[in-house]
Amino acid sequence: MTDAASIASSRKAGAVEVERPPVRPPGIISRMFGTPLNAALSAVFLGGLLWILPGLLRWLVFDAAFLPAEPRTCQAAAGACWSFVFAKSSQILFGIYPPDERWRPGLACVLILVLLGWSVRPTSWNGRLFLLWAATLVLVIWIMAGGYGLPFVPTSSWGGLPVTLILTVVAIGIAFPLSILLALGRRSEMPVVSVMCVLFIETVRGLPLLSILFVASIMLPLFVPEALLPDKFVRALIALTLFASAYLAEVIRGGLQAVPRGQYEGAKALGLGYWRMQRLVILPQAIRIVIPALANTIIVMIKNTSLVLVVGLFDLISSGKAALADPAWPSPSAETYLFIGAIYFTLAFSFARFADFLERRNKTGH
Amino acid sequence: MLTYARHRAIVLQGALIAAVSVGAYVLVTGTAANLSARGIPLGFGFLFAPANFSISETLLPFKPQDPNWWAIVVGIANTLFVSAVVISASSILGLLVGIGRLSGNPLVAGATRVWVEIARNTPVLILLIFVYALWWKILPTASEAANPLPGVYLSMRGLALPLVDIAWPPALVMTLITCAAAVWAARGLAVRRQEASGHRPAYVTVAVAASIATLAATAVLSGVSATVEWPRLGRTNVIGGLQLTPELTTILVGLTIYTTGFIAEIVRGGILAIGKGQWEAARSLGLTQGRILRLVVVPQTLRVVLPPLTSQYVNVVKNSTLAIAVGYQDFMTIVGTIINKTSHAVEGIAIILGIFLILNLLLSGALNWVNRRMAIVER
Repeated sequence: MTDAASIASSRKAGAVEVERPPVRPPGIISRMFGTPLNAALSAVFLGGLLWILPGLLRWLVFDAAFLPAEPRTCQAAAGACWSFVFAKSSQILFGIYPPDERWRPGLACVLILVLLGWSVRPTSWNGRLFLLWAATLVLVIWIMAGGYGLPFVPTSSWGGLPVTLILTVVAIGIAFPLSILLALGRRSEMPVVSVMCVLFIETVRGLPLLSILFVASIMLPLFVPEALLPDKFVRALIALTLFASAYLAEVIRGGLQAVPRGQYEGAKALGLGYWRMQRLVILPQAIRIVIPALANTIIVMIKNTSLVLVVGLFDLISSGKAALADPAWPSPSAETYLFIGAIYFTLAFSFARFADFLERRNKTGH
Repeated sequence: MLTYARHRAIVLQGALIAAVSVGAYVLVTGTAANLSARGIPLGFGFLFAPANFSISETLLPFKPQDPNWWAIVVGIANTLFVSAVVISASSILGLLVGIGRLSGNPLVAGATRVWVEIARNTPVLILLIFVYALWWKILPTASEAANPLPGVYLSMRGLALPLVDIAWPPALVMTLITCAAAVWAARGLAVRRQEASGHRPAYVTVAVAASIATLAATAVLSGVSATVEWPRLGRTNVIGGLQLTPELTTILVGLTIYTTGFIAEIVRGGILAIGKGQWEAARSLGLTQGRILRLVVVPQTLRVVLPPLTSQYVNVVKNSTLAIAVGYQDFMTIVGTIINKTSHAVEGIAIILGIFLILNLLLSGALNWVNRRMAIVER
């Protein structure tokens, strides 16, 4: 038994009373006013808070109009016009979807969100989850588009939150496997494959998403015969998918490069072929290494879906703008954008926390 | 087995080339057929036709009679201007916010955390249209423009700043170039001397001091004149000074808020990446606090920070295209207008893609060059 271990065991038994100086973490006051610099900073920040906060709270809460959700509630109030958001919430959330059928996009959103929540639990990570997602997406598309018993609704009438959610989930869902292929292709020993992957990745990464969306919406109708032309929703989806796959591919390439050579050699020595080596040995390690970077890229992609507005898709922002056009209301744009911003923030922020959890979980796994 | 793998590779690559060629062929012939069916001619002749639209805010002079290609150049200048301002402002702010996040002071850490989380979790488009909506909501009309700082006026019509106009006499410019060359040479001499003897003479300090004296003397003798044009409040409007429209100010403010959040996280990561041992070792060598920062910590932080910072800077150029959402006429909006007016969509989009690829390649090439110079040279 080593000395340290014996001390530890005797301390556990209570035989040795070790006098320790009390360790007190610095209190909140000393952290705020301990040094002259900190005191000055605290004074500046407190002053700023006192200057901004009362007015902000008055506008947000105390002087704001809540219920009843009618235009005159807003006209009477000096602060934010939340009653507009209450009154128009279904229009903002579901856009120009036929009002009588709004339960359908609502149900679609609930299905996707519930499944997202379900997918967070490590116990549900197995092959069935993949099938569950595929089945849910088919169900969601059926609920949204109709047919087979439901009235048909074309994608041009889809709008709001379901568009955002479907674009995000499907684009990332297709882009992820595609990006793995691109990353493997870029590191491939076959020159043609690697050159093409590099060309694709670097071109897409060198362009703003907006210009790629423009190509998909303006150029594609000129490029392909009319019979083969997918509709606007699918075109935006393709643009988002290609964009996401190029960025994800670079992240995954970083992970592939970080896997030590010995892992490749070991897998080959076991007689594994290329694909089995990648699937069983290399990729699980590579992806684990780049989880933080993957999460950041996916958050950027969630936020990027907001850009489909410029090619005329009816996402949250455009449905918000459409709701604001109602002349009966005083057009409270700041409140509407705060509401939409809060929806995106919730999605992105929860995903970031999920990524933190994944990172911690993998750290303890080693 | 080996030949099997090699044959498979050849077949696979051949198939890939064939597939891409067929795809390209279908695209080109399809496009040609579509264009001729719609009677759209191809060609870049439209670039020399007069633009016949106006651009509300330009860095370079522009009249509606000017040709389309000049409008595009003016647009590129606008995009570069926005990117340059946003990159400089968010670098400085990002440094401060990133350091603030590591502060032990809960107020500072909390406030900077809120900034970073909002920037990282909100789409930049929403940030921009929100700022733009606030602009009309909280700012006074031009006749009652707010005057938060002397010479700065803020109103619905936009932001007015003092305009500094400096006349540069040629003699002063020549002296400036000479002085810069002298300081550079002095630094070279000092480095050579240090490598030879281990002792670094204070050549640079002497050269800088001499340059400042010479510059001051030349400035006085050649009569440099700096006139400041202060904006002032007229009866219905703010007059004079440097006037920025609400659109330009929105895109500058919104993109800066957004980019600062990302740069702050990069800075924070860079500082955290420097081990405590580096500080302790430097202290035990007897370096002062300032020298530790300058010689030990900052060079290593820069090395960690530069690659992600590079991609952030490239992102700023790409994000500046969102000017379209608030109606500031940047490069992409202007080409969009030209496409609408001339219906040369294929050429217009080709110009957009080409210019952005070139801009981003130049920017990332320059930053990679800096990065290579900073990187540790491993043996």
